[in-house]
Amino acid sequence: MSRLSKKSPSVCTDMPLDNTDICSKLHLLKQILTSCFGPTGRLKQVHNNIGGHVVTTSASSVLLSSVSSSQPFINLIKTSILNHVSRFSDCGLFAAILCLSLIEQIKKSALKESVAIRVNNYLLALCTSYLQREDCGCRVKLDFCSTQNLITLARSVISSKPACVLTEPETFHISKLAVQAFLLTVPCSSPGIVSFGRIVTVPVEGHSVLSSEVLPGLLVEMPDGLSEEDKLLNPLSVVLFSASLAGDISELGDGVIEAHPDVDTDSQILGQLLELGRQVINDEVKLFMCQKVIHPVLQQYLRSHGVIVVERLGIALMEPLTQLTGAQPVATLHTTIPPKTYGKVRDLCIKHFGSKTMLHLFPLGESAICTMILCHRNQTMLNELKVVCQTAEHVLRLTLREPFALVGGGCTEINLAAYVRHKSKSEVPETASVLMCSQTEYLLGVELFCCALESAARALEHDGGSSLIDLTHAHRWMLPADAIKETMEESLGFCGCGLVQSSPSKKWIYLSTKYSDFCPSSVFRDTRVQPRVLDSFTAKLSALQVAVETANLALDVKYIIQDMN
Amino acid sequence: MKKDKMPPLGHLHMEHVLQAVGVLEAVILRSFGPEGGQVLFTRDTGQVLLSRSGTRILTALHLEHPFARMVVECVWKHSSATGDGSKTFILLLASLLRLIHAAASKGSNVSHSYSSTKAAEAATARHLADKLLAFGLKELDELIATGVVPYGGCISWEDFTVEAQTSSLTNNLCVQKLLRSFFHTRCGYTHCDFSSHLTCELLSHWNFKNQLPSFSLQLVSDYFPALHTPVSGFPVRSSRLIEGQVIHRDFATPPLKTDHQPVKAVVLTGSLQPTLLSTGDVLELGYRGRMKEERSILHFSSWMESSLQGVIAKLQTLGVCVLLSAVKQSAAVLALATQAEMCLVECVSEDELSLFSQLSGTTPIWDCSMIESEHVATLAFCRPIQLGAHRYVHVAFQDSEDRITIKPCSLIICAPGEGQIEQYACALQDAIRMLLRTWEPMLAAATTTSKSTLQSHKGASLHTDSLTEQTPYRSIAIQPIQKPGCVLSAGGLFELLLHYALLQHGHSCSVSPDLNIDASVSQLLANALLSVPQKIYSHKNTISPIQVEGPLGDGKLSLHCCREGDKLSKVSELDLGLESVSCKYQLLLAVLQCVASLLKVDAVLPTHTDQEQIKCHENKGIKMLL
Repeated sequence: MSRLSKKSPSVCTDMPLDNTDICSKLHLLKQILTSCFGPTGRLKQVHNNIGGHVVTTSASSVLLSSVSSSQPFINLIKTSILNHVSRFSDCGLFAAILCLSLIEQIKKSALKESVAIRVNNYLLALCTSYLQREDCGCRVKLDFCSTQNLITLARSVISSKPACVLTEPETFHISKLAVQAFLLTVPCSSPGIVSFGRIVTVPVEGHSVLSSEVLPGLLVEMPDGLSEEDKLLNPLSVVLFSASLAGDISELGDGVIEAHPDVDTDSQILGQLLELGRQVINDEVKLFMCQKVIHPVLQQYLRSHGVIVVERLGIALMEPLTQLTGAQPVATLHTTIPPKTYGKVRDLCIKHFGSKTMLHLFPLGESAICTMILCHRNQTMLNELKVVCQTAEHVLRLTLREPFALVGGGCTEINLAAYVRHKSKSEVPETASVLMCSQTEYLLGVELFCCALESAARALEHDGGSSLIDLTHAHRWMLPADAIKETMEESLGFCGCGLVQSSPSKKWIYLSTKYSDFCPSSVFRDTRVQPRVLDSFTAKLSALQVAVETANLALDVKYIIQDMN
Repeated sequence: MKKDKMPPLGHLHMEHVLQAVGVLEAVILRSFGPEGGQVLFTRDTGQVLLSRSGTRILTALHLEHPFARMVVECVWKHSSATGDGSKTFILLLASLLRLIHAAASKGSNVSHSYSSTKAAEAATARHLADKLLAFGLKELDELIATGVVPYGGCISWEDFTVEAQTSSLTNNLCVQKLLRSFFHTRCGYTHCDFSSHLTCELLSHWNFKNQLPSFSLQLVSDYFPALHTPVSGFPVRSSRLIEGQVIHRDFATPPLKTDHQPVKAVVLTGSLQPTLLSTGDVLELGYRGRMKEERSILHFSSWMESSLQGVIAKLQTLGVCVLLSAVKQSAAVLALATQAEMCLVECVSEDELSLFSQLSGTTPIWDCSMIESEHVATLAFCRPIQLGAHRYVHVAFQDSEDRITIKPCSLIICAPGEGQIEQYACALQDAIRMLLRTWEPMLAAATTTSKSTLQSHKGASLHTDSLTEQTPYRSIAIQPIQKPGCVLSAGGLFELLLHYALLQHGHSCSVSPDLNIDASVSQLLANALLSVPQKIYSHKNTISPIQVEGPLGDGKLSLHCCREGDKLSKVSELDLGLESVSCKYQLLLAVLQCVASLLKVDAVLPTHTDQEQIKCHENKGIKMLL
């Protein structure tokens, strides 16, 4: 009773978006995230005040989860974006920048929040239906017959994270490996329910990135007492235990066990374990693996009979191992092991990676399990590389559900903005009345939405260059800061995604200037011209929706109550 | 225990009550009406939540003021019964108190000393409040039946059944409109169409033939936690219905490899592995130094394993390949089940198992050695489903003859953040509660054996029961209100109509003074009601005061809300949805009861002992002095 304390009243904030403190915090967050965006984004070092280790990153997942704010309004936006990232792995920064610029733009204008919410909602529906359309100017259909588009997709993910510190050939190498590993996990021919395989990542520090590789099968810790000279008959029979073989008493219930001093229970149990070992040897098992600990006497016994013993596998490796070997985990010690629980591996070999020595298990037939060995020069870069490779794997897997990609390099955003500008100009009075606002309010809302989209594209530029838009396809072009006006055409070259080449017939204008709306024509698909930057379709579509929904939500918040207990 | 001093008696005046309620009103107004917004709040755990629900906002405030707490308690009680109307509750309460205060101070204007004026004021106010409550209990239902109900419509349960078969929009529109305006007030404009459509679809799937509508609604409401799955990180529009049930656990063994139908499943409440030693038992090894084979520990553990194998073999002969267990099973069970190609799901919550048993028509089993065929459920499939970060078990039931009309389905609620998901889940649950209240108004609750008869409601139903016995005329007058599913256009129409009905009633009362109801009471209530439509349109700054034309000769009532220079009033009129008349009626009664009990308090005794303070907290800090 004495521990009960009085609850303190909550702290309230009225109209949070009119609060200067919240507005400045939102602006700061936007600046931080904008400066991280894209391949030329600036890195951030995150370290805590008590001298913990420093993280160098530009990934939204790492950045946002380390930024903590006492302001629930910031946390609302933060959790929305983080949840998106945890589902789709990609496009977190895009979602955050779009969301924050939408809020900022609408706040700066005189547009009423409730009107802005309705207009945003309408325009979002317009965007999503456009992106699903066949003739969409920024969507590319993925061709699984060639790996080129897949590699481009993986490469766009990997190159957008400069904290990995990869050179051009290294980026290409890792992209290739990511696609290779992804393709290995897709089962080729299995009737019935198809289940994906798994990529097990083994990080190795201190080696060149180019020595990273993908191996079919699994790597386990090198067991003691195995030399490279040992030659074994192939294929090898495998047994896999999920129960402890350390010689402890099995669970009999909650009661008490009283042992008479004469009784040597330990040796009885050990005798049972050795009995088990005898059966395994009779069944010609060559690889004996256990999730938990194996009694040293049993280990010694098995080894003396030429069986390789691997213990303490851990729960994480159990599922891939059963998939790889086809063995079923055994947990009974008293009954004879049924023959169908044994699995098989084709071969074993010993692999050295720097200081690590590991045992490589090859699958007998087709198997969707593979191991990715990632090497990098130091721990920080290696951690970032691991995150990036997982993102790439996730993005590639998403393509199986929707075999599309969106052109990258800011072209999608610019194209969308141009389309929305054009489309919304038709039927203005009707739309305005459906949205319960005046026509001027509606047009202002459209302009703010498009500006927010364009500002997300402009965030890719960090070196003082300027962004241009061409007036035929509505793609994004970059003009370096030191370019001369006369030679603009040459210095432009290709657009942001690499799908459109500059030609004298094209007209460009600066993104910040107003242009009369036009319908962006879809690019004539020349099969020789492949896009250089591709973004995940599924992830970006969801990011767009999450960004607009979160902005709408933030605009709708009229009151904050903070529990101070 | 320390003896506490008698604290100075803090006398309460109407001003204090008004002040406390006024503060609540100011907070509530932020999220009231078509232009109202969300309230963001953090829990003491740091979790961020969003709400437009009045109850949620008020409880989050952690108020100290005893009056405010009392009001919050009343609101909470009301909304847990009807699921709706918590914001209007506060508005009506505030306006009623203001009017009572004005009337009381006018009534006792005789020059007395300060304290006696106040006392007289309080007495008048208390008297007024009691009269109001008496009036509300006695006359209100009839007034609503004659003055409001004729302007409304009626939604029937058939709307759902028809929709499910023909999927025509016209029939379902009414329920959709009702839900739409509910979701508008609870979650905001953005997804109100989408949410109402989803709710309609959910309910049409859960429609039992030959059962009262309230049965289905009650079932969905009871099992709502088991019926929905929150998934964060997706846009709200990814929310959907899926066939069958989602069990919020992952497989403990590899899932089924084949997709053969049917799948046989068993619900277990105990451990499969037999317990040799229960708590308190002692197993002695090596009894009296004799070392016999059967007294070794190995004997017992091997007995356990072999009996476990026997159980698994028995399950196999019954063709069972899915085991749903309420408890955690041992490693040996997992391994043996895997070898027998059975899949096992551990630690399934009680709620989900009970829903599963109900839908599959089987009973859970404690001891698997006693298994019979009635324990075995037949499923259409049982497979893993990835929802957000979690992998769950997805089961669907085979159609049986008695379940031909319902298609069990679960709801997946998606939103970018957890706070939003919780908001939607709460709103959905309250929407179902609101529908239940709409279909099961006053009398129905008293006669049917519904579990949820509420206190505020009891008085009303008893009263109407006695009325029906009295005169045949009256029972006819009440008839429309008894009819389930009575709805009216939203946006303050109920309050306006009742306002006029009350005014007319007041006139008739003053003409025939034999009824001992004061005309001023109905006048006061009528004026208080007007505050609601005023607040609804007050957000539009350019609006001129609402003009209402009273019910004309042809019985048509038109509502004008004029905006200067803008012809948008028509548009906003179109946007008005529907609301339930019976929920509104209960709201009014609850408010009147709250006013009466608030004004009965005349002092707050702050006590000082620690122990006492805690007690005070538990009793919501209110000391009633009558």
